[in-house]
Amino acid sequence: MKKPNDKTHRLREVSCPTGWTWTNLKAELRAIWENNVKEWKIELAYPVAFIRQCFSPLVFLLPFLIYGLVLVGGRFSENLLKLVGTGDIVTFIFTGYIIMGFIGTAVWAMGFSIRKEQWYGTLESIYITPTSRLSLVFGMALHSTGHQAIGTLLQIVVIYSVFGLALKITGMLPALLIFALMMFALYGFGILISSLGLILKEGWIVAEGLHSILQILSPVAYPLLVLPTVAQQASSVFPTAPALVGMRTFLIEGYRPETVGNVFLHLLALSAAWILFGIFIFRLADVYVRKRGSLEKY
Amino acid sequence: MTRGEALLGIKSDLFIVWSEVVKNIKFLLAYPVVFVFWAIFPIFWFIPFILQGQAIVGGLQSQSFAEIAGTPEFIPFVVLGSILNSYVMTSLYGMGESIRREAYQGTLDYILSSPCNKAYILIGKALSESLASTIFALSQMVICIVFFGINVTLGIIMPTIFIITLLILGLYGMALMLAAASLQFKQAHDLAHTLEYVFYLFSPVRYPIESLPLWAQIVGKLLPLTYALIAVRSLMLLKLGLTALYAEIIILILIDTALIVIGFYLFNRMEERTKKSGVISQY
Repeated sequence: MKKPNDKTHRLREVSCPTGWTWTNLKAELRAIWENNVKEWKIELAYPVAFIRQCFSPLVFLLPFLIYGLVLVGGRFSENLLKLVGTGDIVTFIFTGYIIMGFIGTAVWAMGFSIRKEQWYGTLESIYITPTSRLSLVFGMALHSTGHQAIGTLLQIVVIYSVFGLALKITGMLPALLIFALMMFALYGFGILISSLGLILKEGWIVAEGLHSILQILSPVAYPLLVLPTVAQQASSVFPTAPALVGMRTFLIEGYRPETVGNVFLHLLALSAAWILFGIFIFRLADVYVRKRGSLEKY
Repeated sequence: MTRGEALLGIKSDLFIVWSEVVKNIKFLLAYPVVFVFWAIFPIFWFIPFILQGQAIVGGLQSQSFAEIAGTPEFIPFVVLGSILNSYVMTSLYGMGESIRREAYQGTLDYILSSPCNKAYILIGKALSESLASTIFALSQMVICIVFFGINVTLGIIMPTIFIITLLILGLYGMALMLAAASLQFKQAHDLAHTLEYVFYLFSPVRYPIESLPLWAQIVGKLLPLTYALIAVRSLMLLKLGLTALYAEIIILILIDTALIVIGFYLFNRMEERTKKSGVISQY
């Protein structure tokens, strides 16, 4: 029998990055970027599906606008004016609906990033790489945010051309800052849902349930004031309600915020809380599925 | 063929339909959470429209809405639209993807190579989907009667069932086309989504069709859901009789006939094509 050659069979030593160092952070950022690139490549391999998804924010916004226009027989609502200081339903609904696709980013794209790898049959391979499991989730978040941005841009162009929008240009910057803070909190929410996917596997019912509840608690097409008091209070736990109130304050002339308080501080606190809570639950779920050996279970 | 053989043939065909119904109902009941979800959660999808209406109108009735829709009560209008629209969703994603589901389960090859007429398998699938949709729609209706004050009198139950049956027939013609597409192209998901967008925008689910531009009204008038919604709302909200709706019923029957004939033709053609090209087992 031939004796194996020690030189050729010697395993190459790999030093796994551990600890909080600049090199490790760069490596994690690279992993996030590569996950994002991978998702774009998969998505662009199906151009018809990609084009359809770009139009979907517009398709889902139009019924809200047409319904509103039919109800008041024009674009001005006396009752909305009494409630929030602006009667222009098109601008009001449009500024609210902008965030809808991004709720989907948190719930569906991030929440199902782990499950998707399982569908592809690559979850175990990714799990044994020396990167953080969260890089996968954040990579998906990055891709989905970019994807939603394209859809939202298309939505803005069409609605602006067809209806015209009365927005304050000077309010764009603070509105974008509020939007960014909201996205951080939504990322935390997305991490939480992805951890549910690790345990429940087919967690779409939980995701759909949370998505529907978040949709009702977010003042997208109506002000918070029309919700029952309990629902109004519950909405302050999620980032979408304070973000929409804040964005409208900066973007719409004459808009009277339904809630009083510092939106920036509120969103900062929510972002920190949701991200920490999401990561904590994700770690617990990660340890749980590996201990039980249920990672590969479909 | 003797009379006995013919009877035996009919009995065998009915047995295929029955077995398919039993199989699909067993699948549905194996996931009770999914069952409860579809019975309750679609309500959450139209609640934003009700809240929006209350916010911009400031009440439960709108005169501007009445000028176009014929009724000032926008909540029952939206509720009925959404419940009937759930049949569209079930037919597009349930029946339309049923063939793809057989491929996932690894049973498509066996079904297509069995010595029976595939039409009976499809009828079985359609019946089980209709049964499930009706159970979901009924549970949503009960919740809406309790919470949104929709009035249902005994006299309109039978005409409503008749209209819904006509709607289901048309939708299954459409689903047959999707099933044919998934036989050939494997994934008909994008086609189903695109059709969903067409129904979402152009049929009067949340607003009357007259509020749309003329070209969009023409698209809407090609959809079976449009006529079913006009008829059911006329029965339930405007309290009209079935005789006043003969035009909608005739058009619905014509659309159903066209969709079913084209659906069966496409399915049979695609089945033959996939068998000849040997791509049935291709995932």
